[in-house]
Amino acid sequence: MILTGPEIVRRRAAGELTLEPFREDFVNPCSYNYRLGPVLRTHAVEPVDPRRDQPLAELVIPSGGIVLQPHRVYLGTTVEEIGGVDTVPCLIGRSSLGRLGVFVQFAADMGNTGASHRWTLEIEAVQPVRLHAGMIIGQVSFWTTVGDLTPYRGHFGRFDDATVPPVAHLTARSR
Amino acid sequence: MSILTGAEIVRRRDLGELTIAPFVPEHISSNSYDLTLGPTLLRYTGDVLDPYRQNPTEELRIPPEGVVLSADRVYLGASVERIGSDQLTPIVKARSGTARLGLYVHMTADLIDIGSLGHTTFQLHAVQPVRVYAGMVLAQVTFWEPVGQIVLYDGKYQNSCGPQASRSWCDAPVEVSA
Repeated sequence: MILTGPEIVRRRAAGELTLEPFREDFVNPCSYNYRLGPVLRTHAVEPVDPRRDQPLAELVIPSGGIVLQPHRVYLGTTVEEIGGVDTVPCLIGRSSLGRLGVFVQFAADMGNTGASHRWTLEIEAVQPVRLHAGMIIGQVSFWTTVGDLTPYRGHFGRFDDATVPPVAHLTARSR
Repeated sequence: MSILTGAEIVRRRDLGELTIAPFVPEHISSNSYDLTLGPTLLRYTGDVLDPYRQNPTEELRIPPEGVVLSADRVYLGASVERIGSDQLTPIVKARSGTARLGLYVHMTADLIDIGSLGHTTFQLHAVQPVRVYAGMVLAQVTFWEPVGQIVLYDGKYQNSCGPQASRSWCDAPVEVSA
């Protein structure tokens, strides 16, 4: 089941999920808003190859914002550390961003139970759009689980910056 | 279980726990209800969109022969149906037939807040040029049971009528504090 906003607040206070820093006014009826951190990364070499190193160009968002161009993937990070001890976090965008043609977490919206960190965001723009550091870009919902919990020990649970997985990890998965 | 079956959607609607209006029994699927595209679309007229500003839009009425969505822009449509619930979380998804055409019905934010009521805005994006028609079945709404105390939505898109452009400019900028 999906947690309501008040239930998200209650479970955070009980130490059962992480949302840091926390703001009361970011609580929605069934989700919590998160913000875009100040750095974006984008693939510097084409084609992107999961069996090779993937150099990333780093873009620091200036005070006036940065214009994203279509047909590129931008990786961002959440300002907030987000995780659930026994729930599944699902990160999606705010509808206000989707209405502007911004894909946020367009493929992998589901997090891992037990992983808590600043999340890497997958962002794509249909039309040129300006993004601002610190803007509310998305929302996270939390879902209850059924069954025994296995602690998350994967790579992504330790990454705090917009990143791609180490080559060894991806190649192991792609073979 | 946490997602309502089609029969349960009908039962809860009869109990007044959710709104789907107009309601057509043929639109019930095994675990969702089909949504149709309303007669108007919005598209932005500016070159660079900015969530901190109002972005001007123009309205298109979909003619009987349909309208071709081009691949390089976003179009906003709305469901014919008013949907919402004060007890359940609605989640909107494309029909697989729509997805197989390369048409997104939302780019993000499939989740609808508990307490939200109105025409849901579709965030339309075509991977290749696709023709759409007013009244076509485009999407489906599912209903999910929440856990916890409920506080109803009272936000900026409440009682939406027709497609609604982004109102992100209403959100005051916040400082990055981490």
